[in-house]
Amino acid sequence: MEGLSGLTGDLVLNTLRQIIPLIIGVIVGVVALEFALYNLLAKVLKVRNALAYTLLAPAAIAILAFMIYPLFFNVLLAFSDLKRDTFSCYSPIARGNCKLDHLYGLDYAINNFSDVFFRVRNGEIVGWGRLLRTEESTFPVLLGRTIIWTVVNVIFHFSGGLALALIMNQRIRFKGIYRALIVIPWALPGVITALTWKQEFHAEYGFVNTLLESIGLQPVSWLRDPVAAFVAVTFVNIWLGIPFYMVMLLGGLQSISAEYYEAAQMDGAGAWDRFRFITMPLLKPILIPAVTLDVIWTFNKLDLIVIMTGGGPEEKTNILVSALYNAAFGTAATQELGFAAAFSIVIFVILFIFAIAWITTSGGLKEIYDR
Amino acid sequence: MSTLTQTPTTAVSRPPAGLNWTQIRQIIAIGLVVLGLILALLNGMNWSYLALGALAGLFVWKPFHGILLSYSVISVYPVLRIISISLRPSTGLLSRSLEIIPPGATFQSYVNLFNEEPFLQWIWNSLSITVTVSVIGVAVAATGAYAFSRWRFLGRRPALIFLLTTQMIPAGMLVIPIFVIVAQLGLTNQVIGLILAYISTAVPFSIWILKGYYDTIPPDLEEAAMVDGCNRMEAFWRIILPLSTPALSIVFLFNFLASWSEFIVAKVILQAQTVSTWPLGLNELIGTFQTDWGKYAAGSVLVTVPVLLLFMWQSKYLISGLTLGSVKS
Repeated sequence: MEGLSGLTGDLVLNTLRQIIPLIIGVIVGVVALEFALYNLLAKVLKVRNALAYTLLAPAAIAILAFMIYPLFFNVLLAFSDLKRDTFSCYSPIARGNCKLDHLYGLDYAINNFSDVFFRVRNGEIVGWGRLLRTEESTFPVLLGRTIIWTVVNVIFHFSGGLALALIMNQRIRFKGIYRALIVIPWALPGVITALTWKQEFHAEYGFVNTLLESIGLQPVSWLRDPVAAFVAVTFVNIWLGIPFYMVMLLGGLQSISAEYYEAAQMDGAGAWDRFRFITMPLLKPILIPAVTLDVIWTFNKLDLIVIMTGGGPEEKTNILVSALYNAAFGTAATQELGFAAAFSIVIFVILFIFAIAWITTSGGLKEIYDR
Repeated sequence: MSTLTQTPTTAVSRPPAGLNWTQIRQIIAIGLVVLGLILALLNGMNWSYLALGALAGLFVWKPFHGILLSYSVISVYPVLRIISISLRPSTGLLSRSLEIIPPGATFQSYVNLFNEEPFLQWIWNSLSITVTVSVIGVAVAATGAYAFSRWRFLGRRPALIFLLTTQMIPAGMLVIPIFVIVAQLGLTNQVIGLILAYISTAVPFSIWILKGYYDTIPPDLEEAAMVDGCNRMEAFWRIILPLSTPALSIVFLFNFLASWSEFIVAKVILQAQTVSTWPLGLNELIGTFQTDWGKYAAGSVLVTVPVLLLFMWQSKYLISGLTLGSVKS
């Protein structure tokens, strides 16, 4: 191995030559832009709130370039026939022999979007479209699995986190130590969590089966069996999510004044009544944003599934987002990026409709922009 | 103040014979520990029986501590396992033992990791990408977030909702166009390509967190400065920016943690693996289970320990910020 564990002076210099001009350029650019714009807006044009717009400009430009443009480009891709063997058509630096007569068009978009849902033969719809290789990977199957995945995870996150938070809110010793230990899954880098649990669910060498056998149960070939693999991934994601709720809800519980409980107790309210009529309503402002974020995060949880199972075995642990990843970049992929772009828009629309419906009915996240 | 009742001590549940519930629970608990000890001795010093007995005893004696302790074990055990595997000698790598300190513990896996894999190269690549993204994220977002916090300008509300919506975007929806753009620019398999990809999510995220922090700084400060003859721009540069150093460092940390262990985008952009970050490198090690488990574990420990320390040290800010300022802490 060259250098110190692969690290050579050339490599270091080469990287620095790329990133130092970039960093300095961005900082100088931001400062210069702000001074120029402020002088223009405030002193020449005399615009109201000139400073606000000045301060916003760098971020606005960055978001335009790095967020809005890619999103717009993604829509454009859904109107294209971009796949591995047409890549050169769409790439200005490598335009070779291109067989397409047009690059973007409504006909491509119709194909891409209808491929997400339908299998068309001779102009007739003959069934649900295959999103990946197997018959299993159709839109309704994946949507159903995604909903089950999200609901099961959020319910366990919530009930586990609430139970731990209620206990931690008691007068109890070693609270700090328990708290520090329980948040560890949350603090671990996600890749490490996924890779490590993948190893530990290994049928022969992982500790899960060793534990099962030591209490007299049969070992399970976790990642070879579709159902067991889905259980394993779900378990890991529950393990990952509980600390978040515990911390959030504990913060909420601690902010509830003890006077409410004392008054209720004097009125003869039992533990359950106090929980139902005091704790839950007063936790609501914390609970609703927490659940909203958790639903979005769980729905979009891609890396855990991709790393632990790759969506397999038999593509039966895919949820929508991991199917999208596999369709676009996975090993089995034909890399039909135009189709994948259309698929990604469908997924986003589903999540967006859900989020809007949930936020308007629950009033969740309201306080963020009303503050 | 208690929100759950303690075990009821009403007359109905009080047993006769002058013993109260607490004493009965203590006796049962001691009995369980003794039972565990006997089983352990009968089964040839298998101390896991004693541990089980002690845990069962704790559940009976102090149920809350029983639950918290078991859950703490569930949380920590996988981490202890990685440490344990990283210390195993190569002959015992695939041992099925559950012991934390393996027999014949050695640092050989760490040495192998450094000698046989380009581990420092992975770390260097990750570090340079992460630092660049974090610095640019802070530089671009610092002033924008201040505007969101202090002014009620036209379009503020839709803009904030848009920033929130970006959190909802499935990774694939951004990865696909960014991959194509980066490929069109000929930047795949380069550090700079990955930096461009990460900045797209770093900027909205940084604005969110910084806005939340600025909201906690009283506006009186700038107003006082303006009474003293500063204009608004000067007040911002001389008062607010220096005051926000902690916030800026927190945003730096956030972006750092977010891109430090990013896997999916890195895998897409750095497909050829001529340049590799540590998540990609460790993932490759996992591919060949038999020989490299020790090296994988050693690498995991090395990249995780700094992150865990950082998390513990800054946990208050990190936790409130990881929820994107949506929850008042």
